[in-house]
Amino acid sequence: METRTRYFLLKVIIASAFALAIVATPEDALAQSEREPPLIEPDVEPQPVEQALVDSENFEVAAVAGWLNIEDFGSSFMYGGRLTYNISESFFVEAGLGFAEAEDTSFERLAGDVQLLPDDDRDYRWYNLNLGYRLLPGEAFFPGGYVFNTNFYLTAGAGATDFAGDNRFTINYGAGYQMLFTDSLSAHINVRQHLFDSDILGEDKTFVNTEVSAAISVFF
Amino acid sequence: MGLRSLARQGLLVVCCLLWSLPLRAGVLDWLWSSGEGPAEVVVTAPYVEWRTGPAIGYPVFHASEKGEWLTLLKQKTRWIKVRDSRDREGWVLQDDLSTGTLTADGQVAIGPRPDRDDFTDRGGEVVAMMGDFEGAAAISAAASWQFTHNLALEVQASQVLGSRSEIRLANLSIQHQPFPGWRLTPYLTMGGGYAWISPKATLAQTERRQNPTAHIGLGLRYYVADRYFLRAEVRDYKVFTDRTTNEEVTEWKLGLGIFF
Repeated sequence: METRTRYFLLKVIIASAFALAIVATPEDALAQSEREPPLIEPDVEPQPVEQALVDSENFEVAAVAGWLNIEDFGSSFMYGGRLTYNISESFFVEAGLGFAEAEDTSFERLAGDVQLLPDDDRDYRWYNLNLGYRLLPGEAFFPGGYVFNTNFYLTAGAGATDFAGDNRFTINYGAGYQMLFTDSLSAHINVRQHLFDSDILGEDKTFVNTEVSAAISVFF
Repeated sequence: MGLRSLARQGLLVVCCLLWSLPLRAGVLDWLWSSGEGPAEVVVTAPYVEWRTGPAIGYPVFHASEKGEWLTLLKQKTRWIKVRDSRDREGWVLQDDLSTGTLTADGQVAIGPRPDRDDFTDRGGEVVAMMGDFEGAAAISAAASWQFTHNLALEVQASQVLGSRSEIRLANLSIQHQPFPGWRLTPYLTMGGGYAWISPKATLAQTERRQNPTAHIGLGLRYYVADRYFLRAEVRDYKVFTDRTTNEEVTEWKLGLGIFF
């Protein structure tokens, strides 16, 4: 009885296999001729990529303070801020703001009761958009086994300076050194040269103002 | 005396901030922790190299073998910070993780670096440009929304710093790029906005003017690498004045953009 059932089942399977083969062959043959079968079946199904698994920290915001030497107007305390976006490991773009107040010129100090500029016009404000390049990434080693990553970088860009009642196109270039205390917190030292043309002192001339500043920055 | 009291106040504020920092554990964690993420991957490539910092200039100091598990901590540009089972930490190239590791459920944890296809499929961009506005220096910042492969809507703010006047411009424009798939791809732009003109005059008292503007323009984008591209643009502005004639100004600019 059992063998008969088995024999019957076998016949059904063979018949259906034939039927399937007849129906399926033309399509299969077509498919076979169109593309090669894969040599190795992949172990895993390709899955959609999930980018958000890791937090990326490419933005950096910095508070800046230092000295600004304003040509003919002495050296003043300056402060400001910078927002940086790291577009690659070498290049970054940066938007900066700065404020300072011009001192007296030597003429004003020597002549006594003379004022070249009203107090409001002594406010020195600027903004700039810069491109930076990390020239020398490195590491600084300290006693006690502390190692901090460092960067020596160059920046250049342009912006505007509002000074003495005039707003002038300003280019700037400079260099900086960054030390990363953690991956999210770092300190910078910057020296930058700000250049603009102005006729504040009568004739048109190029002002070359030097900024020496330090900054603390946070990545986010 | 005033300066001294100001300095004292400043010191007090800084002290208060420093004092309150430990109370705000969230801030402190963010600053000092290495930002542990939940993502863990297994190395499927023969090995992946570790560097001490997120740049090619840092030395390779370790390598993870096939079968080792790595925790992904954070990403900086094309580098990902990882930690292994022995609590060592280092930076691995995104492409190495993308092709050489899988998550526990067989997923690719990190996609490949952005490339030209991502540039073609961009959703928007931010651009800084500089150039010449009828002989005066011009600085612009723009943001745009690419709502189809061909069309984008852009807002642009410009500052023109001439020796005789300062002009601020705000514009809204629509852009069309006929060949979005090209590496060097041209586009057409047109739109309108406002110009605020303040003449610089030391002798006469001059008034500020505010005029509507319209413009047409032609530009080029060139995809460089990662997320950035170069952009050049020429625009012809028409400034609608109250006087008998309108003003026409040609502007050209060159800039750097980042797409998202």
